[in-house]
Amino acid sequence: MGNSIQEGQELSFLDKVKASFRNQSTLLVVTLVILAVIFQIASEGIFLSVGTLGTVLNDWGSYILLAVAQTFVVITGGIDLSVGSTVSLSSVVAGWVLVKGMGLDTSISGDAALPYVLIATLVCLLVGLAVGALNAFLINVLKIVPFIATLATMGAMAGMAIIISGGMPLQGPNDFNLGIAYNVFGVELPISSTILTVLIITVIAGLYLHKTRFGLYTYSLGSNPFATRAAGISPARHITKVYMLSGGLAGLAGAYAYIRLGAGSPSNGAGMELYAIAATVIGGVSLMGGVGRIVGVALGTLVLFTVQSGLLMVKVVEVSPSLKQVIVAILIAAAVAVQTLQKNGRK
Amino acid sequence: MANKVIYEVRNVSKNYGAVVALDGASLKLHAGEVVGLVGDNGAGKSTLVKVLSGAHSPDSGEILLEGVTKVWHNPKQALDEGIETLYQDSGLAQHLTVSQNVFLGREKFLKGIFGKLGFLARKQMELEAEADLQAVGIAFPSSNRPVSQLSGGQRQAVAIGRAVSWARKVLILDEPTNHLGARQSGEVLEVIKRAKKKGLGVIFISHTLPHVLEVTDRIVVLRLGKIVRDAPTSEYTADTLIGTITGSYHGDEN
Repeated sequence: MGNSIQEGQELSFLDKVKASFRNQSTLLVVTLVILAVIFQIASEGIFLSVGTLGTVLNDWGSYILLAVAQTFVVITGGIDLSVGSTVSLSSVVAGWVLVKGMGLDTSISGDAALPYVLIATLVCLLVGLAVGALNAFLINVLKIVPFIATLATMGAMAGMAIIISGGMPLQGPNDFNLGIAYNVFGVELPISSTILTVLIITVIAGLYLHKTRFGLYTYSLGSNPFATRAAGISPARHITKVYMLSGGLAGLAGAYAYIRLGAGSPSNGAGMELYAIAATVIGGVSLMGGVGRIVGVALGTLVLFTVQSGLLMVKVVEVSPSLKQVIVAILIAAAVAVQTLQKNGRK
Repeated sequence: MANKVIYEVRNVSKNYGAVVALDGASLKLHAGEVVGLVGDNGAGKSTLVKVLSGAHSPDSGEILLEGVTKVWHNPKQALDEGIETLYQDSGLAQHLTVSQNVFLGREKFLKGIFGKLGFLARKQMELEAEADLQAVGIAFPSSNRPVSQLSGGQRQAVAIGRAVSWARKVLILDEPTNHLGARQSGEVLEVIKRAKKKGLGVIFISHTLPHVLEVTDRIVVLRLGKIVRDAPTSEYTADTLIGTITGSYHGDEN
């Protein structure tokens, strides 16, 4: 059996596949460079600035946690549509706890706000974990397919956010100093401590996906659920963990939104799930499960928000928000088409 | 058979809704014995395999391992007791590498703090997987390759190697020679003979009757969920075996 393999032929095939894996990231980096050049020209030279990069990175920070969460879920062959509503709900609950529960003085700012920020983060995390547990219950116990289960929680949590907030934003600490810019050799970098925290979480998530048993089971479940169960692994237990991870990260994204915007609004997370899924797909994660890498997703998210921010600065033609949506949609379709072509090319 | 009975089912039945998949089937397997399980499509072979491997619980009947009654709630319990199953066509996760598949569910961790955090000893598992597959009689140039890049025969080889290297008592092989060429099938049959010499009880399910006649000690024929004949392989010829499966041959005991 094994002896009959022609080794040379196998290795060249392996090289090809390895190259195509590298291509996914290379492709995205090349795309980023091309986009930067295009926007630099189209914005008449204002795109490449510390200010713009700061905006791109801040947007990236809001979405990368959701994209990472989505990556785990999609690799298992599932999908989590409830992440956007979880962002809204968790930020609203955090606002409620701080304003109604603890009588937060909203004029508080700077370091004095830090304890409140930490409490808000904890509250958001707990809300997210609870939503994740609810999704897992719907999928494992009631046997609802992930798309429908999370569609239901998406609607329910958005409604809850409006009920709790009364439809009005709940204030957060005013002007909490997130933008501690790092000075390196006199150059101000567009990186805040919040972004750094988000970056560290992303790196840890990547290590967990690619190097640990948790990650391995995530792939095996998406690749072959039957074989996974036959190997003695409980699919239900792992699905619970993955959806709670997704909920928890969405909760942290809610905290990020609350702290950054200084308000817990029921519209904080509206539509975010679509961007998260788009970033995941652009980053090379297959919606069929079993395939995807965190580096690709981080780059995919960056591509998405480079386009978002870049389009705002284009001076040659005016880009309306509606047209922006169309362009993002084209980007998603193109990413999926590229995936399909790569897959067919491999066959 | 001089050896002791290692695995046994008594009078097991299983219905799927109105469909009777298994109807009071009983089967004994001795250590160091290869039992062929044959039958037409829908005869209940796969259902019996799932009952034996712990994937499905029977509606009624008893399962005994070395004389002790067992109730399997999931495949893990059977795996932990040394019963390995190779499922037809669906045993491997094709996005994972050879060694990840061989060690799936039995991973090894790094030493120290990283291991405690769940980090896997990838290199160690790759080396051990290679050694395990070689010990079974399956040589692989590299075990860090995704299964999706292997040919059908190679995948089957990995799946069999995985089952044989982990099995301690019972090895259940559902259509292990399916989709394989003559030479590869021959190698699979050799692997079965070696497993038998190791003292494992082997259940071999196949549609390829010459393979069944070549490698088994005893053949059990299922028809419409019932065991219709259970006799030493020497008492069958190719013709009487086909006749028993289809129901046209009634033999001496019927």
